[in-house]
Amino acid sequence: MTRTRKPGISRRSTLALMGAGAVTFAAPWVARAQAKTIKIGMPTILSGRVAQLGTSSRNAVMLEVEKVNAAGGLAGRQIEMVIRDSKGQPQEAARIARELVNTDGCEMLLDGEASSGSFAVHEVARDLGVLCIHTCSEASSLTADPKQHIPNAFRCVRQGIHDSIVGAGYAAGIAKAKGLKKWATCSPDYAYGRDTTGEFVLYLKKFAPDVEVISESWPKLFQPDYTEVVTKILQAKPQALYSCLWGGDLTSYIDQANIYALFTQMEVFAVNMADYTALTVVKNLPKGIHSGDRYIKTFPATPENAAWGDAYKAKYNEYPTNWSWQNATAVMFLNEAVKKANSTDGKKVAEVLTGLTIKCPFGADGTVTMRADDHTLVGYAIGWGTTIPQEPYVPDVKAGDWKTIFELEAEWKKSKGYT
Amino acid sequence: MTELQAGQGAQTLAPPRIDARPQRYRDVLIALVAFALLALLPFIFGSKQLLDFVIRCAAYGLFATSLNLLVGYTGLISFGHGMFFGLGAYGFGLMMQKTGVPIPVAFVATLAITCVVAVVIGAICVRLKEIYFAFVTLAFQMLIHSTILSWQSLTGGDQGLRGGIPRPPFLGIDLSNHLHLYITSCALLVIGLFLMRQIAQSPFGYTLRMIRDNATRASFIGIDVWRAKLTIFVLAALFAATGGMIMALFVSGAYPEFAYWTISGEGIFINMLGGVTTFLGPMVGTVLLLILNDTVTRLTEYHGIVLGVVILFFAIGLRKGLMDFVVEWFAQRRGEASG
Repeated sequence: MTRTRKPGISRRSTLALMGAGAVTFAAPWVARAQAKTIKIGMPTILSGRVAQLGTSSRNAVMLEVEKVNAAGGLAGRQIEMVIRDSKGQPQEAARIARELVNTDGCEMLLDGEASSGSFAVHEVARDLGVLCIHTCSEASSLTADPKQHIPNAFRCVRQGIHDSIVGAGYAAGIAKAKGLKKWATCSPDYAYGRDTTGEFVLYLKKFAPDVEVISESWPKLFQPDYTEVVTKILQAKPQALYSCLWGGDLTSYIDQANIYALFTQMEVFAVNMADYTALTVVKNLPKGIHSGDRYIKTFPATPENAAWGDAYKAKYNEYPTNWSWQNATAVMFLNEAVKKANSTDGKKVAEVLTGLTIKCPFGADGTVTMRADDHTLVGYAIGWGTTIPQEPYVPDVKAGDWKTIFELEAEWKKSKGYT
Repeated sequence: MTELQAGQGAQTLAPPRIDARPQRYRDVLIALVAFALLALLPFIFGSKQLLDFVIRCAAYGLFATSLNLLVGYTGLISFGHGMFFGLGAYGFGLMMQKTGVPIPVAFVATLAITCVVAVVIGAICVRLKEIYFAFVTLAFQMLIHSTILSWQSLTGGDQGLRGGIPRPPFLGIDLSNHLHLYITSCALLVIGLFLMRQIAQSPFGYTLRMIRDNATRASFIGIDVWRAKLTIFVLAALFAATGGMIMALFVSGAYPEFAYWTISGEGIFINMLGGVTTFLGPMVGTVLLLILNDTVTRLTEYHGIVLGVVILFFAIGLRKGLMDFVVEWFAQRRGEASG
C-alpha cells in the first residue's frame, strides 16, 4: 500500500504554523510588557522671553535620561520624556500637567515651570497625587511654607534665601575690608526681586552692622531702558550696588550702565551674573563684578563638574544654564530613588526620595541631599566670586558655608511663621 | 425738538410689541438639552481630558461671549475685559482662602465686588469712544494687573494665590470631585449663556445694537446712551468674572496672568475666530481656539506660527468669523433656492 499524501496542509504543520504565528504576534507584546517604558511628563517654557532657559532644561534632562536608558532605564523600564510648552502661563501649565498624567499616561512629573506656573503644577500634583519634582522655581515659599507641603512633591532647585545668606556673608567681608558703608540696590519690581533684595540687605546688615542703604531702584520686569535708574544710582554716589536683575534685564542693564562707566565708580554685586547666558551675551563684561554662581563649570572645581559642562557643550553647542544643572540633578535623584526602592511606584519612590543623599557633580562636597522635613534640595555648590571678561569668567569662587546657611535659614523660617 | 418731544415721538412711533415668550421657551428648551448632553458626556466617554477641556471651554466661553456683548452688540471694543476675569478668579480665591465662607456665598460676594469695580471703571470708560475707550480699558487692566503684582501680602504677587483653594462641600456638591466640578461648570456655562441670550434678545439688547449702529440717533429718541453702555459693561463684567471663578477652581489658584492683557487679547481673538454677528460665535471660537491650542502644542513647539497662520486665514481669507461665514453661506443658499 502506498501512502498517498493528502493535498493541503497536514494537521501537524497547521499546528506548527499556528504556534509560530502566535509566538510571532505575541513576542513584541511579551517584550513590551517586560520592558514597558515609563513616561515622565514635563511642562516647561519653550516659547517667549525665557524660552532659552526652558530649552536648556529640556537639554539637560535628555542628556541624563539617555545615560539612564543606556544603563537599563528606571528599574528596567526605559524612560520616555513627554515635554510640552506651557508658554509660561500657569493655566496652561496646569492643563498640560493634567493632560500629561490623565491622557498621556505619565507616571511622574518634572515641573520645569518658573514662579506662578510651578504653584499651578503643585496644585495638580496635590490633586492627582502624582510624584512631582519641581526643577526651576526658586521661590522659597514653594517648600518652606508648610501649607504647600504635600508628600508627593519635591523641589530640586536652589533657593533665593540660600543665595541671600551666602551673598550677604561674602559682601559683608568685602564691605568690611574696603570700608563700603553706603549701598544702593537695583532689582526687578516683583516678588522675587523684592524678597531676595530684602533678605540680602537684612543679612548684610547682620554681618556688617554699619552698612546703610542710601538708594533703592525698582525697575519693571523686562524694562528696556535703564537710563533713569543708572543716573539715579550715580547721583546717590553709593560705594556699592546690589542687584538681582537676571537674564536679558541684567545684560541690558550692564550694557547701558557701561556707557556711564558705573562699574568703575562702585563695587557691584549682581547675584545672577555668573550664568553663561548672561556672561556670554554682555558686550563688554566689566572686570570685577561680584556674583553668585548660577552654573559655572569651574565651580565646584571638580573633574565631574567640568566633564558634565563639557559634555553638555559638546552635545548642544552651548553652555548649560542654572536651570540645566537643576534638571539634571532631578533625573539623578529619580534614578537613585528608583534603584533604592526597586520600583517605579510613585509613592515608594517619594518615600525613598525623602532625605535621600546622592553623589552629584553639583554638590558642595560631591553630594546633594533632598532634605526630609521640607522636601527641598540642600548641599548644592553655592558661592560668590568676581568676573573677568573671558573664560573661565569667574576664576575664583568662594564657597558658602552650609552650616551658616542652615542656622540662618531656620531663623528666617521662624520669622516668617513657617515653623 | 426737545428731548421730551423726541421721547413722545418715539412712543407713538414704537412698533407693536412682539411677544418674546415663544422664543424664550425655545431657548429654555435648547439650554436644557445642551446641559443634558454635556452632563451625559462623562458617562459616555469617561476621558478626564475631555472633562478638563469642557471646564476650560466653560471658563473661556463665558468670558468671550460676555466680551461679545460689548464688541458685537454694543460696538464697545474693550481691550481690558480680562481684568474682570482676573478679578473673578482672585475675588473668589481670596474669599475662600481667607474667610472660609460657603462657596455660594463667595460666588455671590465676588459678583458683588466685580459689580462695584465695573461700575466705577465703566463710569469713566464708557464716556469715551472707539480707540479711546479701548485704550482706557487697557490702562485699567494694567492698573489692576500691577496692583495684583504689588499687593504681595494679599495676592502673593507674581507667585499668585498659593496653597490651593479650599472647597467645602455645599448642598451635596463637592467641587474637589472632578465630576462635580465638571457638572457645576457646565451648569454655570449653560445658565450664563442663557442669561446673555435673554439680554441680547431683549428690548435692551436691541437698544444696544442701535447704539452700536448710531449712538446719536439713539440719544435723539430719548435713550440714555451712557446708562445703557454702563449697564452692559457691568453685566458683561459679571459673566467674565464667573468665567474667572471657573478657571480659579480648575487650576485651584489665581495668578496675575489671569488679569494680564494677553487674556483680553485671547478674548478678542476668540471673537474674531468665531464671529461677532451671531450669539454663539464666541462659543464656537472658544472651542476652536482651545482645540487648536491643545492639538498644536502637542505636535509642535512652534505653535505661534500655526496660530498666526490661522488668524491670517480668518482675517484676510474669510474676512469674518467662522459662524458669520456659515450663517451667510446658509442665507445665500436659501436665497438661491427661493430665487
